[in-house]
Amino acid sequence: MGAVIARLTRAEWTKLLTTRVWIGLLLGSCVLVGGFAALFTGFAGSSGGGPDGQGLPAVGTPDFEQLALGVSANATVLFVVLGIIGTTQEYRHRTATPTFLTSPHRGRVVIAKLLAYLVAAIPMALLVIAVDVLVVSVYAGARGAAPSLSGDNLRVLGGAWAALVIYAVIGVGVGALVRNQVGAIVGVLVYLFVVETIVQAIPAINGAYKWLPGGALEAMTATFGQTDLLSAWQGGLVLLSYGLVAAALGTLLAVRRDVV
Amino acid sequence: MRLDDQAAGPAGASEEDEITSGSRAALDPVRVEVSALTKNFGSVRAVDDLSFTVEPGQVTGFLGPNGAGKTTTLRMALGLITPDRGTTTFNGTPYAALTDPTRRVGAVLETAFHPARSGRNHLRVYCRAAGIPLSRADEVLDQVGLGPAGGRKAGGYSLGMRQRLGLATALLGDPAVLVLDEPANGLDPEGIQWLRGFLRHLAHEQGRTVLVSSHLLAEVEQTADRVVIVGAGRLVRQGSLAELRSGSAGSVLVRSPQTAALAELLRTDGTTVVTTDGHPDGLTVTGLPVEEVGRRAFAGGIELHELRAHTSGLEEVYFQLTAGSEQYAAGRPDAATTGQAAA
Repeated sequence: MGAVIARLTRAEWTKLLTTRVWIGLLLGSCVLVGGFAALFTGFAGSSGGGPDGQGLPAVGTPDFEQLALGVSANATVLFVVLGIIGTTQEYRHRTATPTFLTSPHRGRVVIAKLLAYLVAAIPMALLVIAVDVLVVSVYAGARGAAPSLSGDNLRVLGGAWAALVIYAVIGVGVGALVRNQVGAIVGVLVYLFVVETIVQAIPAINGAYKWLPGGALEAMTATFGQTDLLSAWQGGLVLLSYGLVAAALGTLLAVRRDVV
Repeated sequence: MRLDDQAAGPAGASEEDEITSGSRAALDPVRVEVSALTKNFGSVRAVDDLSFTVEPGQVTGFLGPNGAGKTTTLRMALGLITPDRGTTTFNGTPYAALTDPTRRVGAVLETAFHPARSGRNHLRVYCRAAGIPLSRADEVLDQVGLGPAGGRKAGGYSLGMRQRLGLATALLGDPAVLVLDEPANGLDPEGIQWLRGFLRHLAHEQGRTVLVSSHLLAEVEQTADRVVIVGAGRLVRQGSLAELRSGSAGSVLVRSPQTAALAELLRTDGTTVVTTDGHPDGLTVTGLPVEEVGRRAFAGGIELHELRAHTSGLEEVYFQLTAGSEQYAAGRPDAATTGQAAA
């Protein structure tokens, strides 16, 4: 079985690398993160135009450095899409038929996809982190103080890296569950940007936020002294659990659903 | 025939021998047994207690009108659809339990590929998944005549090229069984002729088991040795084409100015004599060979203007067998509601 999973995992890498989806999403992630990093560094220390008078922390402060080095986590949106496309393209382009003919044990296909995207996301996430570090170091350095890559700063970077990888795995799980590519992507975006925001805004239920994927993600990166969050490693485990539960449900359903 | 050369010509043949000589000698004949397959989709019974066998070394045509349950049957046989009842086995083993399914059974069920992936890379994905050397992708591309197009995105392929890519995918594992669902769709006449020769070669020369579905008898008539005919999810007939032909009662058409006297001579036990539609001087005789009709007319001194055997074509037999079993028969314009009530 291990040999079969290894073969199927290599097949998933071939699938991933023989279309340009990964290049687009990786470049998009780099541009997004690089842009955020430059923006935050550029406006660091300004008093801001908000009614509360709060602005971005100044270059050289620990708050600024954690904020700027944590922007990589914004690319989790694109990494979850990568995972979703990885699974749902089988149904969208009907290649689920030859895939399941090659491996009638459909659970193995899902396991291979989880492994393949976990491993593939590691260097991709590393590149995104590197862009973040590069932009912040150069720009903040020019403005007076490049952040040191140690202590809390390093923890933030590590958390963002792990979060990116885990979100790719979550995407594979969600895709196995939902199968419809557009539906899965729209559903995840609506969830992350609408549902979680609403949960946070309602006092009666916002205690649940820390257990949700968004809250877990925040716990893994820059917390800014927020007390109502899990610790970083707890947040990572919660995120990973979401991915695996979705994948397990998706596998159960994939085994039962007819491929017509 | 350029494509024929590639499939069976010297270059292709020697290469093919080299790849498969080991497995060819060891190519186990595989018998496919479909047993009591039944599947309901909601309230529609798509396949109903269907049993038939597919023998090695032959091309078996799987025939039926659109909606007769052919695709559902093939997908159940390959473990893609779970039947409500029944089994399909390959030498006794269900598809999902085969240790190395790609090397045992190859299937072309639909043109399924990622449009942005090249034909060669599409094949390489399944080489990887099945543990087959990547070089096999180029071999099967050449085998189906797609060699020069292997580097192009599959989304830009013509319908015929897509069918060839599907066939190439099925051939990757050099399987003993080939299952093809409507493979001639989209092929041009040259491609259809090539496919016929190719499938016959695989079955007759190499001893493989070939099952080809089609809704058109004419498509498999020149290829198939046996046919399995289904209608409305049920088995209508299975047997060799020769059996099917002989099973259709041939008739004799005879024209004479003395039809009444001739009919008298011909009416014996087991024969029917009726006036031919549109020919007041014609008779249609069933149950007698054409020689016997001629002999009796000669003995009776009856003048004949025409005498010919009319073997009803296979197409006609097929049509009769499956008549009324179409799932979505076109209604008469004036019968608007009766069909819906029945459905």
